[in-house]
Amino acid sequence: MAELVANCRGLTRIYQDDAVPVQALVDVDFDLAAGEFVSLAGPSGSGKSTLLNLIGGLDRPTSGDVCIDGVALSTLNEAGLSDLRLNKIGFVFQAYNLIPVLSARENVEFIMQLQGVSARKRRERAVAMLDSLGIGDLAERRPGELSGGQQQRVAVARAIVTHPVLLLADEPSANLDSKTTAELLELLTRINREHGVTILTATHDPVVMGYALRHVQLRDGRIVSDEKADSVAA
Amino acid sequence: MTLPFTLLVQLSWRNLWRHRRRNGMLLAAILVAVGTVVFANAVIRGYQGDMLNDAVNNLAGHVKVLAPGYRADPSIDKSFTIAPDWQPPLDPSLVLGWTSRVRVPAVIMSERETRGVQLVGVDPERETLISFLGEVDIIGGYLEGPADRRVLIGKALAEQLDTRLGRRIVMITQGSDGLNREAGFRIVGLYDGEGTGVEKVFVFTGRETLQALLDTTAITEISVRLIADEYGALAGRQLAASFSDLEVMGWRELQPQIAAMFAFADAAIFIWFTIMMIALGFGLINTLVTAVLERTRELGMLRALGMRPRAVVAQVVIESVLIIGVGLVLGLAVGVWLVSLLDEGIDLGRWAAGVEMFGMRTVLVPRLLVADLVLVAIMTMIFGLIASFYPALRAVRIKPLEAMRR
Repeated sequence: MAELVANCRGLTRIYQDDAVPVQALVDVDFDLAAGEFVSLAGPSGSGKSTLLNLIGGLDRPTSGDVCIDGVALSTLNEAGLSDLRLNKIGFVFQAYNLIPVLSARENVEFIMQLQGVSARKRRERAVAMLDSLGIGDLAERRPGELSGGQQQRVAVARAIVTHPVLLLADEPSANLDSKTTAELLELLTRINREHGVTILTATHDPVVMGYALRHVQLRDGRIVSDEKADSVAA
Repeated sequence: MTLPFTLLVQLSWRNLWRHRRRNGMLLAAILVAVGTVVFANAVIRGYQGDMLNDAVNNLAGHVKVLAPGYRADPSIDKSFTIAPDWQPPLDPSLVLGWTSRVRVPAVIMSERETRGVQLVGVDPERETLISFLGEVDIIGGYLEGPADRRVLIGKALAEQLDTRLGRRIVMITQGSDGLNREAGFRIVGLYDGEGTGVEKVFVFTGRETLQALLDTTAITEISVRLIADEYGALAGRQLAASFSDLEVMGWRELQPQIAAMFAFADAAIFIWFTIMMIALGFGLINTLVTAVLERTRELGMLRALGMRPRAVVAQVVIESVLIIGVGLVLGLAVGVWLVSLLDEGIDLGRWAAGVEMFGMRTVLVPRLLVADLVLVAIMTMIFGLIASFYPALRAVRIKPLEAMRR
């Protein structure tokens, strides 16, 4: 059996919203093996983003625990969680979330800069990554000067340039047209196959699900199905 | 893990350019505050300089040696002697000049008026180095030596006595035997002091002449002027060690009223600076809080990507340090420039009577002290850092997920 990248046991997350507790996730067990490309699907409010955020260390469960690459997140303080996100997890957000005052190359260098990689290596790796994603000629442009698809590619480059053990993508196609969505998904598939990056994506989009190797369905905070894909789009 | 300073400075610097108008206004506020403080400090220092100069020039020197009891009863009884070749036991490089005097109360009489004055026997040459006699305008001539038998009186006193240059006056004072002595003197010159106060009080003649009149070889005081006020305490200790039976006093003890005004001016600098910095601090907090609130989502995203909380704090603090640093440099430059525009001084002649009362001269020359500029720079940075911590902590208190949902 492949090594586990993420291991969730008894995850429950209850939000206290206007004094009325809302159960976003209820007693979820979930494993993610190295090299998998998994889609989390379900209607709005089903708990897929909550699960993604708990696995990414952006939120803490009400009960239960998450282990990433063998590290229990409950044992980490805020700085420890920051370090874990920095070194082990790549994020691709629905809204791209690039840093507006940095160029595309500088955005890709950002994580490496936090990790203390030397300026020369950072630049080489960032330029190579942008080239490999087909946007090398846009390296010196700022996010405001890029299209949505181009921004999302920069976000993907930033997320994977440091070779994280896990890539988390929250609705990565939400703001993209179908052509750009297809290009992005082919890119993610290539990253998954060629670099062995484990990908977990939360999505509504059947097109995105079509590229995943495993589909997990959530409803009302519970996993209702978890099955391998019969076939993939790419 | 160490903070990625290059990245933080780069982010902070570029963030400053995102809101040029707002940050430009903050920069202008810092510039005005620092420039005003530098200028105000220079004006107050100029005022203090005048006070110090007047206090020291006013026959006090920086340090004075007196016989015990002379201050309460300034008569020739309270006198002492020194060897003819006596020199102050001080590092000569710290001494601008020194002199010995005989100073006694006397009555001066002209043909028409009589006044009470201080009759001072001086060595005219030494006196010009250490007292106001070296600075004032003199109508007529100056005393020619310690044995000169003529007198130099103030212009205002001459007016009171209704006398003039070249006329004779009579001085009456008490000799060392307790009997009154009387002598006639010709007026060699009229001195025109900065204020009329000293002109009405001091009458000068040769020291040996006065000693002969009083029938003594003693002196009533030694006055030492130093190259700078800060050596006063050291000089005082050294003189006290060699005159254990005499009183050694600094100008602050001799003129406590001026010393109090001097201290008040120091306090005024501090109070003015504090008021400006508090006002500026609120402006800084307001601007930075606004900047943080506007970028809540972005700061959350930085945290989500793995930036440590303290790095976020550092980023906000660096932003404020950058803007304060630029404002500080510009403000110091503006302050220095304003002071340089007034190197001829501010003419207060219109309010001469009022300014004299406060120990000021009719032309106030602002004085820039490097120590003040350094103090303003350090205190501005400290105030700025303190003011930036609240928005920085506010930035880091927001959870990344919560921030990104905004």
